[in-house]
Amino acid sequence: MPKQKLSPLPAAAFQILLALVDDDLHGYGIMRNVAEQTGGRMRLGPGTLYTSVRTLLEAKLIEEIEARGNVKGHEERRRYYRLTPTGRKLVRSEAERLADLLRVARAKNVLRGEYV
Amino acid sequence: MSEKLYSLLLRLFPSEFRQRFGEESIQLFRDRFREERGFWLRLRLWADLICDIAVTLPYEHVRVQAPVAETSLAGTTRSPSFRSTPRGPTLFVALFVGGAVSLAMVCIVLMSIRYVDRHPAIGPAALQRALNSVGSSVNEQSQVPPVFDASKLDAEERERVIDAAALNMREHYVDRSVGQRVADSLLAQERNGGYDGITDAMAFADLVTHQMQNMNADATLTYFQQILPQGTGTPAAERLAAYTRAMEQSDCTFETVQILQHNVGYFKLNSFPDPSVCRARAVSAMIALNHADAVIFDLRDNRGGFPAMTALIASYLFDHPEYWYNPRENTTEHSWTDSPVRGNRLADKPVYILTSRTTISGAEQFAYDLKMLKRAVIVGERTAGAAHAGAFFRIDDHFGMGITEVQAINPFSKSNWDDVGVEPDVKVDAADALNTAERLAEAKLAKK
Repeated sequence: MPKQKLSPLPAAAFQILLALVDDDLHGYGIMRNVAEQTGGRMRLGPGTLYTSVRTLLEAKLIEEIEARGNVKGHEERRRYYRLTPTGRKLVRSEAERLADLLRVARAKNVLRGEYV
Repeated sequence: MSEKLYSLLLRLFPSEFRQRFGEESIQLFRDRFREERGFWLRLRLWADLICDIAVTLPYEHVRVQAPVAETSLAGTTRSPSFRSTPRGPTLFVALFVGGAVSLAMVCIVLMSIRYVDRHPAIGPAALQRALNSVGSSVNEQSQVPPVFDASKLDAEERERVIDAAALNMREHYVDRSVGQRVADSLLAQERNGGYDGITDAMAFADLVTHQMQNMNADATLTYFQQILPQGTGTPAAERLAAYTRAMEQSDCTFETVQILQHNVGYFKLNSFPDPSVCRARAVSAMIALNHADAVIFDLRDNRGGFPAMTALIASYLFDHPEYWYNPRENTTEHSWTDSPVRGNRLADKPVYILTSRTTISGAEQFAYDLKMLKRAVIVGERTAGAAHAGAFFRIDDHFGMGITEVQAINPFSKSNWDDVGVEPDVKVDAADALNTAERLAEAKLAKK
């Protein structure tokens, strides 16, 4: 199997990191945020989501934190994930890379009209 | 059924993946399954899942084998990296396999739904039977004919049960002085031969009930009753198992959890189930509503349940511990909501509660407390009005008694909703309550 390096990030991994920028989320929270930020185009299934989550954990771009939402001492079994400082840097550099691409595309008049 | 099906599909993944993410994957499926209702959304969900499995499965299996193949390369590439299946050919294979498996699964799911609806062992009728079996634990004395010979009550048993009844009244009746008086009177009757010659268990129970109620004990809730002989009742473990099964099959009676227009959360729950069985589902439901701008709790078909569950859900509606009045329990340090809940965003969001004339018991507690705390607007009809509940004490194999046991502090008013019901803030027919609450929520959010 060929390796896909960290740069560029796979789309799913980048979307997961982006979803975690604002808040710590559990799996379903991540899935919903990704669906929202892609206008419903990307609905991560459990396989894709957790395969990416594992890779991001191994790369220390995200970390697992203690479950939240505990009520009256009973453990809530959800795992939450949080962006690490390294992960945050990577999101930023990836966003900048995409912004550079966008600038080039604009300069070449690939985009027309009112596109961002 | 669907969850089991997905669990089976998950077994296709290597055990390493299942151990690490199996439970989370099922939870994710459960969340999506709950949220995505309706034929097309469910179809889309299954298509998503099957494509997801088809795409990730080869990668996961290769990943498990890869470390063995790469041991000779250990140490040469230490930088973190992503692997993916090659895009071109795998995509084609994935689409082909995904498409074929999707079609097969859709057929299986549709056939299963038809099968479940019709099959006597697992269909809705089975759920009803399971619920009935739970209900029977409460009404067992009326539903199952007693086996022991009810006409052979002897003096020894009469004495034993009267002693136990007196002890229970003294120790448990809400008003200790009344309890003492009733206990003394029962013992005096027994000493004076007031029960001599009564050999019929039913007649004995009726007489004792009549006497207790005549002595100022709560007329409706203190009673003495002939109950099942030992061995014919359902053991507690079995009752719990039946209840757990019924809750699993009915999704804990949480009928709908969804986000309506204008980002208004909607939670229709038809009971407040036992938190020891349904805590995780309740927490999931509240998490699903966490980003809503307002929440509507639909209690129109709610028949009450466990006060602890009302407190658990109410905990999400406050940012500080709030006194949670429950007329069925004495006031203790546990009589407060467990607020704030970490990560919760609903504490300051408008809340609406839909009621009907059949909303009863625990559902009335939920509506009453939130109304009194000015934390919710009640929309609908006046509720049924049932606040008190007695505890049932089994005396021996043949007799038991119900006693009004507790008196909680009501910080809001002298009386609660017993007999009179909870009066809605906005009176409309139950059928119109949801539309009305939605309009109220929209208007409220528009002002912000």
